[in-house]
Amino acid sequence: MIHLHKVSKSFSHFQVIKSASLTIDKGEIYGIIGASGAGKSTLLRLMNLLETPDEGQVEVNGQDLTKLNSKKLRQARQSIGMIFQHFNLVANKTVYDNVAIPLELAKVPRQERRNRVVECLQFVGLESLLDKFPAELSGGQKQRVAIARALANHPQVLLCDEPTSSLDPNTTAEILGVLENVNKSLGVTIVIVSHEMEVIKSICNRVTVMANGEIYDTVSIEPEGIKQLSKRPNWFIEQLIKDGEKSHA
Amino acid sequence: MPEILVQYQAEIWTAIIETFVMVGVSIVAAVLIGLPVGTLLFLCRKGKILENPFVFSVLNLLVNTIRSFPFLLLVVFLIPFTRLIIGTAIGTAVATVPLSIIAIAHYSRLVEQSLLDVPKGVMEAAISMGASVKDIIFKFLFVEARSGLVLGLTTSIISFISYSTIMGVVGGGGIGDFAIRYGYQQFKTDLMIYMIVIMVILVQLIQFTGTTVSRIIDKR
Ligand SMILES: Nc1ncnc2c1ncn2[C@@H]1O[C@H](COP(=O)(O)OP(=O)(O)OP(=O)(O)O)[C@@H](O)[C@H]1O
Ligand SMILES: [Mg+2]
Repeated sequence: MIHLHKVSKSFSHFQVIKSASLTIDKGEIYGIIGASGAGKSTLLRLMNLLETPDEGQVEVNGQDLTKLNSKKLRQARQSIGMIFQHFNLVANKTVYDNVAIPLELAKVPRQERRNRVVECLQFVGLESLLDKFPAELSGGQKQRVAIARALANHPQVLLCDEPTSSLDPNTTAEILGVLENVNKSLGVTIVIVSHEMEVIKSICNRVTVMANGEIYDTVSIEPEGIKQLSKRPNWFIEQLIKDGEKSHA
Repeated sequence: MPEILVQYQAEIWTAIIETFVMVGVSIVAAVLIGLPVGTLLFLCRKGKILENPFVFSVLNLLVNTIRSFPFLLLVVFLIPFTRLIIGTAIGTAVATVPLSIIAIAHYSRLVEQSLLDVPKGVMEAAISMGASVKDIIFKFLFVEARSGLVLGLTTSIISFISYSTIMGVVGGGGIGDFAIRYGYQQFKTDLMIYMIVIMVILVQLIQFTGTTVSRIIDKR
């Protein structure tokens, strides 16, 4: 589904990605992990040419993106969804209008658009919030809108750059649940960049470890499943005193 | 109504209309040309989607040069050019030429600044969705920056009113020119003060409208 062949990328003479190659198969949930500055985000951004490689090929869905003209590249990007750490919703558009953008870009007729927007919002469980603006939503809800927006055009691939890194553990679990559902019920190939080991271990079936702009190793793992946390106040107490004596202040 | 205002009623109305024509043409120029120029300035910057050091430098230099002219000198300097396009060097129509030029330079800079406030992440999301340059401008940039664009235009309009007051030098007329010719030069101080009051009310109204509109359309 995604094939990077010896891609390199430099920012002002500093080589951030050094001749990296990797293959991601259809239907995988693929993790990329590594220290800060290792080049994880850059590697991910090469997969939809948000960064253009200095060398090498980027093949997605059987197309070499580096060989496409700008119109073809824009079309190819419409079937590569992407979500971000800070959601990147259009703050002056409602939830509905945010999810409708990719459909407008793809020139989907208005009537079909409406159905598809509602369908996507139902998928992420937000159909009741379609008139709200992003500022009125919680972080988890914003990321759900971002996922709905990324799914609108039936993408083959969903790229996720630190999708849960600004969310609390409960919301992280919720979002991971949504991503897993996107993969299982829609068959979308997912690539997740994260520095959180828990996140990667819970849903990925293959993981690449990056270090200093190089692919250090890639391992296959059995996803552990998403840890369900509880919202009960007593759950927090239990976690706090799990390893120690209970001593109320 | 004070007697002096009644006495000069006709002249005052003419002056107000002249001011509205001069400022109105400036606004049209600012929106039709300043907005695209400011957008281009933004898009041609380093790291932006139309990155182009040559176009950026040329526009940037042009805008800076126009804005660094003392306005009175710009008006005089432009007289030959104005004569060329209007066919005469005196009158309200003549005054609209230098006013429009400063309006374009003024507003384009404020447009550029408003667009710089749009979060980088929103632009990235737009590109990742496969948006064209036109879509990025109209479906993302202008939507996210709209309250800044309105506030900037408000600031610009108030500057245009101020610039329009000196257009007496090319026979442009207007409230400012009337205040000087009748109020100052003919020692009718009360008349001058009334004119100043009209300008203050005008500016207050514009600022109030601009602030209100920008607040209503800001959902961030
Ligand atoms: N647009 C850019 N211009 C210059 N340098 C950049 C740019 N983007 C990334 N870099 C540099 O490239 C290196 C790798 O960045 P990248 O964002 O890919 O790392 P990362 O592994 O995602 O780190 P983090 O976990 O902190 O997000 C860093 O040293 C960073 O400073
Ligand atoms: Mg990163």
